[in-house]
Amino acid sequence: MKRTFAALAVMCTVSTLALAAQAEPVKLTIWGLDGDNGLIPTLASEFDAQNDDVVVEFRAVAFDDLVNETLKAVATGNAPDMISLDNPDFALFSSRGAMLDITDRVAASSVIKPDQFYPGPWASVMWDGKIYGVPKATNTIALFYNKDLFAKAGITNPPETWDELLEDARKLNDPANNVYGLTWSARGNEEGTFQFLPWIQMAGGSWKQVNGEGSVRALDLWKTMLDEKLGSQDVLSQGQWDSTGTFNAGNAAMAISGPWEINRMATDAKFDWGVALLPTETAGGIRSSAMGDFNWGIFASTPHPDESFRMLEYFVSQSDRLFPEFSNIPARNDIPLPSTGDARKDAALKVFQEQLNYAQPRGPSPDWQKISKAIYDAMQSALTGQMSAQDALNQAQTTIDGILNG
Amino acid sequence: MDGIGFDIALATLSLAFLLALAGVPLLYNVLMSFQQVDMFSLGSLIRPWAGLDNYRAILAQPEFGLVMRNTAIFVIGSITGQFVLGFGLALYFNQNFPGSSTIRGLFLVSWVMPGLVVGAIWSFILAGDFGVLNALLQMTGIIDEPIFWKSNPALSLYAVIIANIWLGLAFNMLLLSVGLASIPRDLYEAAELDGATRWQRFYTITLPMMRSTIGAVLSLGLIGTMQQFDLFPAITEGGPANTSNVAQFWAWQMSFKLYDFAKGATISVMMLVLVLIASVVYVRSTRSEVRG
Repeated sequence: MKRTFAALAVMCTVSTLALAAQAEPVKLTIWGLDGDNGLIPTLASEFDAQNDDVVVEFRAVAFDDLVNETLKAVATGNAPDMISLDNPDFALFSSRGAMLDITDRVAASSVIKPDQFYPGPWASVMWDGKIYGVPKATNTIALFYNKDLFAKAGITNPPETWDELLEDARKLNDPANNVYGLTWSARGNEEGTFQFLPWIQMAGGSWKQVNGEGSVRALDLWKTMLDEKLGSQDVLSQGQWDSTGTFNAGNAAMAISGPWEINRMATDAKFDWGVALLPTETAGGIRSSAMGDFNWGIFASTPHPDESFRMLEYFVSQSDRLFPEFSNIPARNDIPLPSTGDARKDAALKVFQEQLNYAQPRGPSPDWQKISKAIYDAMQSALTGQMSAQDALNQAQTTIDGILNG
Repeated sequence: MDGIGFDIALATLSLAFLLALAGVPLLYNVLMSFQQVDMFSLGSLIRPWAGLDNYRAILAQPEFGLVMRNTAIFVIGSITGQFVLGFGLALYFNQNFPGSSTIRGLFLVSWVMPGLVVGAIWSFILAGDFGVLNALLQMTGIIDEPIFWKSNPALSLYAVIIANIWLGLAFNMLLLSVGLASIPRDLYEAAELDGATRWQRFYTITLPMMRSTIGAVLSLGLIGTMQQFDLFPAITEGGPANTSNVAQFWAWQMSFKLYDFAKGATISVMMLVLVLIASVVYVRSTRSEVRG
């Protein structure tokens, strides 16, 4: 009670002073997801409290509505000052001049230093050589494996190449006990592309070039997994969260998913587990992985670019709190993650941090969603045997070429 | 109060209401399908003219043929299933056994539930490895291996159709029950005295007396099925590889997932034309029936 009173007194004094100093504080609006254990509202209200000349208003938008709401807002001139957008959606706005070009501000900033960030997340805020945002946090995917089942099958190390992955999946697959060799997500939406694109990239392809021989080998590997029933056919309709749920229940010996699974796995899984880097096509081959999470961006239409950039700098300056307080992995390679007190979790996070060096953004492209649909449609057509891998990927390539040249 | 003035006011009010809430969005949608739409012109009415470009682009999409075929199967399959089973149930409960009206009321549960909830429930039932239906079928020894209802390209569309039949069953049964109840009993008694069999009574009394009800049920079924959207995101998301994608879900995907609002509008205009053709055919067929 006493403390509340003191706080009130301080607030009154502060606001009186503020009133005396300037007429009206600047109002900044920020939109974002209400997830991440309250990351955005927490940081935003801190910035609000620390700056008398600024009032920050946070609006939570559901994931599925975020892009549509933002499109509407930009179209009608009602965009907020700042936003946090999923990284593959970012180029939709930055490429069309909806986001503020902050290249010069970043160059002059003592807080935001591009070379401290992982290359993948940083690439997703760039468009046409200019900087339009800053990665908020990042994540990637790697291979979870059930150490108990590996020991039972007499396998000592997690697979390092595609051949080993297939071989291990065959050894671990145990239909009599309801155990699949591997589980992942080949769903017909963004998640499917998120999981499949790294395999194209490991085989020398990219999102612009999906029908090379390497990409066909990657898709054929997945098809073999399904044809031999080393993975459930429901990977075609399952998201990553449900898919990894089957791993936690002991119904799959390996799973491909991201660091967001770690906490649940630590409590749910009744076995010893570990994480390994995604296997490469051949020993010592190209490494790659997916890159997830959101980017901060300031809208070009903001009447308060200076205050908005100050808020952005404040958010970036709090990067070391992202993991301990909000379970987010900072998109920076200069911030060590503190121990969680659970050796398995710490070991897993170390692998994910290494994998992040190879994480590549989806795009950036203003037409990412269409490119992504071309990729997951091709993947699903081949996996369900409606088309050969080559034909399906050729069709996707035609669509992608049409978008890139159109 | 001036009677004529009041009548005109009533008519004007309802017309204005219709125009504002149905006409304007409809015309806006048609207009949009002939325009180029992007982020900055999303809020304006006058946009660069695209002619038939959007229509050509939709026809050129590799999944176009598959989606149209799926839409036809979905509509015909759903309506047939809902109607046949609904009619069967209506006739069954029309036997007036003890408790029949209470049990019939309980069947309405499926109709009361929101589509998304129904979709989520069927998604659990139809899941592959740990689905309820597969568990039942395996327990009774009908199948050895799980059937992947949602992930098998040959079955995914039927997974949604099954859920949609269940969802629309109660509505069909209810309307058809009302129709059955309105047929005078003495018609049947007279026919029975004349020695008509059960089948003859159904064919010569029930069906003709139910003609208008059946027409209404089928046309409402067509509208409801073309509108059915909730089940798709909840069960298959149109997958795998568009094998369960139908026009209404595709239009939504175009607009709100791929952010191509003009093409989304184009698909919905194409659907609108199909529904119009279907309703013209329906209206003409009922007209000739009445005369005959």
